Amino acid sequence: MSSKTSASTSAGKPSLLSLDTWAVIVALALALAVKFDILKNVPW
Amino acid sequence: MATIAASSSLKPVKSESALRAAFSIVPGVFLLAAIGYAGKFLERFLNTYAKAHHWVFPNIEYVLWAILIGLAIGNTVGLPKVFQAGVATYEFWLKLGIVLLGARFVLADVLKLGGISLALVVIEITLSLALMTLLGRLFKLKPKLTSLLAIGSSVCGVSAIIAAKGAIDAEDEDVSFAIAAILALGALALFTFPAIAHALHMNDVSYGLWAGLGVDNTAEATAAGALYSDAAGKVAVLAKTARNAMIGFVVLAYAIYWAGRGQAEAVTNKAAFLWKKFPKFILGFLLMSLLVGFHAFSKGQIASLGNLSKWAFLLTFAGVGLRTNFRDISKQGLRPFVVGALGEILIACLTLGLVIGANRIWGL
Repeated sequence: MSSKTSASTSAGKPSLLSLDTWAVIVALALALAVKFDILKNVPW
Repeated sequence: MATIAASSSLKPVKSESALRAAFSIVPGVFLLAAIGYAGKFLERFLNTYAKAHHWVFPNIEYVLWAILIGLAIGNTVGLPKVFQAGVATYEFWLKLGIVLLGARFVLADVLKLGGISLALVVIEITLSLALMTLLGRLFKLKPKLTSLLAIGSSVCGVSAIIAAKGAIDAEDEDVSFAIAAILALGALALFTFPAIAHALHMNDVSYGLWAGLGVDNTAEATAAGALYSDAAGKVAVLAKTARNAMIGFVVLAYAIYWAGRGQAEAVTNKAAFLWKKFPKFILGFLLMSLLVGFHAFSKGQIASLGNLSKWAFLLTFAGVGLRTNFRDISKQGLRPFVVGALGEILIACLTLGLVIGANRIWGL
């Protein structure tokens, strides 16, 4: 019962970062990976 | 003691649920990628096949294939539950794609085209709000539904409607009416906008501006732009981003209006309200463009960032098709749809006129 309650509470909690912020963070991480040649010549 | 036990048991539950949530999106993301890649494959395969057999076959872009495959799956077999969480991430891929697309804009272009877009956006929003309010009154729609349709069609579709929901204390039923109307009209715009632009022989910049100003939802505006050409897709995203930037101001105005009538909570801190509603990914887009302006990346690296943006958009386009369910939309009733459709047709004509005028003045 208690684990159920705590799980639902944590699921109901709004995320710490918004979708927009996540998009910016992931984009910057990808930009860094490209800058330092971790990701090279990405094809299309 | 009991408190300590409870708090220590929270950690594994929390990390376990986070892990479960992360895993739950995997099948849907794979489905988005598979549909997007199938669209890309079909475009290349059909072009090569038609050429090899000397057929006259129109070049159908991967964007349209991805949307059509998504529509076919979503409206026939439906989307099994296991894919739903992952498919819902299409909005994340859209925003990621937009931020990365900033790398393909020189800051001067952002300032020039963004400035023109902003000027047109202000005119478009003012006229669209007035028009939708008038149509809502004419067709005797509920006042808050009219507000939601006006916000959705003047600023940025579904995000604006959701942002306005809490601010004007709208009913869930009105929100789903407005979202259904905006999504249905966005789906129609995907096919009508490029066809009209081809008939009018519009150039890439003019068409991109028109798609960004005239198509409501960001995903559909991006797709409608990309359906015309890569360059038009870039401009459509820029114009749509300028429109999205206004979301806070429009929602704030409506919140104040409804609070004044005692039908919504009063806004105490207007600056905090504006910041809360401001789409932060726009700052990421500008930052990326700024970094390119400061030569932080080589030419090859800029091309790589541009391609990463295209991959992110590919997942978005698949999501646009998958989440458009005509059966659900038809359940929402005809009147809001008629008001939305009439308004959208008038707004499309109006924005087309604005773009043609801007083309004459600034030579786009």
